[in-house]
Amino acid sequence: MNPSVKQEKSFAIMLAAPSVLVLIITTTFPILYLIWSSFQNINLAMPMNDGFAGIENYIEMFKDKQYWKSFRLTIIYTVSTVSLQLLIGLGLALLILRIPKAQWVFRLMAILPIVLAPVVVGLFWRTLMLTPDFGIVDFFTQAIGLGSHAWLSEPKLALFSVILIHTWQWTPFAFLVLLASLASLPSDLYEAAKIDRASAIKRFFYITLPLIRPAIIIIVIMRSMIALSAYAAIYAATRGGPGTATEILNLYAYRTSFLEVNFGYGSTLAVFILVVTVSVATVLYLIRKKNN
Amino acid sequence: MKKRKSILEKKISRRKFVKNSVYTGLALGVFPGILTYPSNALAESFGANINWRQAEGSEITVGLIPAGYFKNLANVKSTFEDLTGVKLNIEMTPPAQIRNKAMLDFSKKTGMWATNCTDPMFYYLYEANGWVDRLDEYLENPKLTDKKWFDYEDIQASWRGTTSVKGVPYGIPFDGEATCQIYRKDIYDKAGIKPANTLDEYLSNAQKIHDPKNRLWAAAVRGMKGAGQNMYIYPSILAGYGGKWFNSSGKMTVNTPEAIGALDYYVKLQKSFAPSGVSNWNWPDLADAFGQGTLGSYIDANSTAAVINNAEKSKVVGKIGYARWPKGPSGKRVCSIWNWSFPINAALSEKDKVATWLFIQWACSKETQAATSHKFAGAYKRVGVNRNSVWKNSDFQSLMSKMGDNFVDTSIKSYNQDTDADWRPRTAKWPAIGGEMATAIQSALVGEKSSSQALIDAQAKIDKLMMG
Repeated sequence: MNPSVKQEKSFAIMLAAPSVLVLIITTTFPILYLIWSSFQNINLAMPMNDGFAGIENYIEMFKDKQYWKSFRLTIIYTVSTVSLQLLIGLGLALLILRIPKAQWVFRLMAILPIVLAPVVVGLFWRTLMLTPDFGIVDFFTQAIGLGSHAWLSEPKLALFSVILIHTWQWTPFAFLVLLASLASLPSDLYEAAKIDRASAIKRFFYITLPLIRPAIIIIVIMRSMIALSAYAAIYAATRGGPGTATEILNLYAYRTSFLEVNFGYGSTLAVFILVVTVSVATVLYLIRKKNN
Repeated sequence: MKKRKSILEKKISRRKFVKNSVYTGLALGVFPGILTYPSNALAESFGANINWRQAEGSEITVGLIPAGYFKNLANVKSTFEDLTGVKLNIEMTPPAQIRNKAMLDFSKKTGMWATNCTDPMFYYLYEANGWVDRLDEYLENPKLTDKKWFDYEDIQASWRGTTSVKGVPYGIPFDGEATCQIYRKDIYDKAGIKPANTLDEYLSNAQKIHDPKNRLWAAAVRGMKGAGQNMYIYPSILAGYGGKWFNSSGKMTVNTPEAIGALDYYVKLQKSFAPSGVSNWNWPDLADAFGQGTLGSYIDANSTAAVINNAEKSKVVGKIGYARWPKGPSGKRVCSIWNWSFPINAALSEKDKVATWLFIQWACSKETQAATSHKFAGAYKRVGVNRNSVWKNSDFQSLMSKMGDNFVDTSIKSYNQDTDADWRPRTAKWPAIGGEMATAIQSALVGEKSSSQALIDAQAKIDKLMMG
C-alpha cells in the first residue's frame, strides 16, 4: 500500500475512533449486557435465587400465557397502525396535491402531532379527548346519537383507542413523505396515459403506486420499527389496561422488569422484542433491496 | 480638591498587613463566637443535645419528588447547611420514576442518593437486600440522637409502623396522608343526609344525590390500574369486610369470601354512581371532577384538600366537608396509610451516613415540620405533617380548618384510629404482587371478569410469584 494512503487511513481511523468507542459504550455494551442478563436469575425480590439460569427464562417465556397475549397484541397493534397510517396518509397526500395553493399550511399542521412527546399525546387523549362524559370524542358521539363510551376502559375499545392515538400522531409522517414523493412524479406519464384513455383508477394503480413504492417501503420500515417500540403513549393512556387489554410486549417487559423487579425475565422479553424488531427490519430491507 | 483614594488604589504596607493579621487572630482567639455564632444560635433553636457539626464538610444528595411539601423543604435547606456545615444537594424526580431510580441506585451500590423519599411498601424489599441501614442503631446512639428532643414516638404511630420491618425502623416518615370521605356539604345538606358511617350508607347516600343528567355523579374512588391507584383503595374495602392478606399459616390469600365481597362492593360503587370512565381515573381526575362540581363525593387522601380548595381552579371552595372512612360489614373502618419517609443508603461511607442521619433528623423534626407548614412564608402550606404535636398546634389547626368542615378532626382520628401497618400486604414481593392485584381489580371494574374469577386468577399468579 502506498505510504501516504496508509497514513491517511490511520488518520481516518483516529478520527472515527472516538465516535465508534462512544457507540460501542452506549449501544453495543448495553445490548450485550441485556443478552447476558436474559440468561441469569436477577430478581430483586428474591435475591437469594440470583445466579446463572441458562435457557430457563426462555423456556418460561414460551410457556407464559401473558407473553403470548402480549405478542398477539403487538402484532395487531403494529399491523393496524402501520396500515392505517399508510392508507390515510396516502389519501390525504392525494387530496392535498390537488389543492393548488397554500399546501404549506397543511404541511405545517401535519408536523404538529409529530413533534409532541408520545407521553404528552397519551395524556392529551386520555384526559381531553377520550374521557367518557367529559371528553371531546364522547361529546361528538353523543351529539350524533352514538352515545357515551368508555373508550379506554372497555377492553376492545381500549385497543382500538390506543391504535387510534398512535395513528393520529404518526399519519402526518406518512402524509409528508408521500406528498413529497407524489409531487416529484413526472407529469408526462400521466398525460400519455390520459391520451390512451386510461381511467383515474388505472392511472393510480399502474403509474402512481409503482412510482411511489420506494417511499411506501421506507414508511413501512420506519413506522414498523416505531410501532414495535411503542411504549410511552400507551402507558400514559391506559398503563396497558384495562386488565392487560393493551399490554403490548414493551409494556409487559417494563412491568416485569421495573414493577415486578424481575430483571432476568424482563431482559429475556426485551431480547425477544429486539429479535422481532431486527427480523422485521431485515425482511423489509431485503424486499426494498430486491425492488431496487 | 483632594481626591480620595479608592480601597483598591490604597497600598497596604507589609507592616500594616502583619499588624492587622495579628489583631484579627487575637480577636478570633479571644472571641471564637464571632465565627461560630450563627450556627450556635441555630443549633440552640433546634434544641438537640448533639454536635450538629460532626459531619461538617460532607456533601450529600437527596432524591425527592417535585411535590409542594418537598419544594417547601428544599426552600429551607439553607437552615440545614448552616446548622451542620453539610452541603445538601436536592434532586427532584417524578414519583413514577423515583422507585426505579432508587432501586437501580441501591442494587448497584452507587450511593447516588444518600437518602430518597421512599414508598413504605418497599421497605421489606430493601431490608431483604440489605440496601438500607436499620435506624434503631442511630436512634439509640446518644452521639447521634438526642432522643428526648427528636421524640420519635411523636411521629404518627401507624406511619412509623409502615416504615419498620418486624419492629425495626428503616425509615423516618416525613409527610403522609389518610383517605377519608370528601363530600359536597351543600348537596348533602340539601338532600338531608349526613356523611356515611358504613359502606352501605355510602351507597344509599349516593342513591339520593345521583343525577348524571344534570352532570352530578354521586360518588367515585380511584379506578386506574396501579399499586398506588386501585390497589390503594381496595385494601381499605377489604379490611372493612374483615379480609386479611395472609391466612393463619402465613400463606398469602386473595380470593377469600371477604375479598370477593369487597371487590363486588368496589365494582357496584363505581358502576352505579361514578362517571363511566372512572376505571381509568387517578386522584387528580377525581379532584378535578369534584372541583368542577360534577362529583357529589369521593373517597381519597385528605391531602387532595389542597387541590380542591384552590380558588383559581375549584368551584366548590367553602362547600366541602370531610368524614372518616365508612365502616365495613366487619365493623372496622380502615383508611390508607401512605407516607413518604427517609431511609439511609447502606452503600454510603460512615461520615456520609452521619450527615444523612443529621439531615433526616432535621427534616423530620418538629421545628422543620412547622417551618415547612403553618410557619412557611410561601403560599403553599403542607397538610401532611408527620407529628401529633404539630397536628395539636392551634396555629396549624386554625390554618387546616380552612380546608373545609371537619377536616382536622377527620384527619387526626383517621391517622390515630382507622388503620394499621398491614393495610396492604407487606412482603419483599410487593412490587409484583401490587401489580398483579391492580390488574385483577381493574379486570373486575371494567367487567372483563367477575370479582370471583379475577381474584381466583390473581391467586394463581400470586402463588407462582411467592414460590419463585
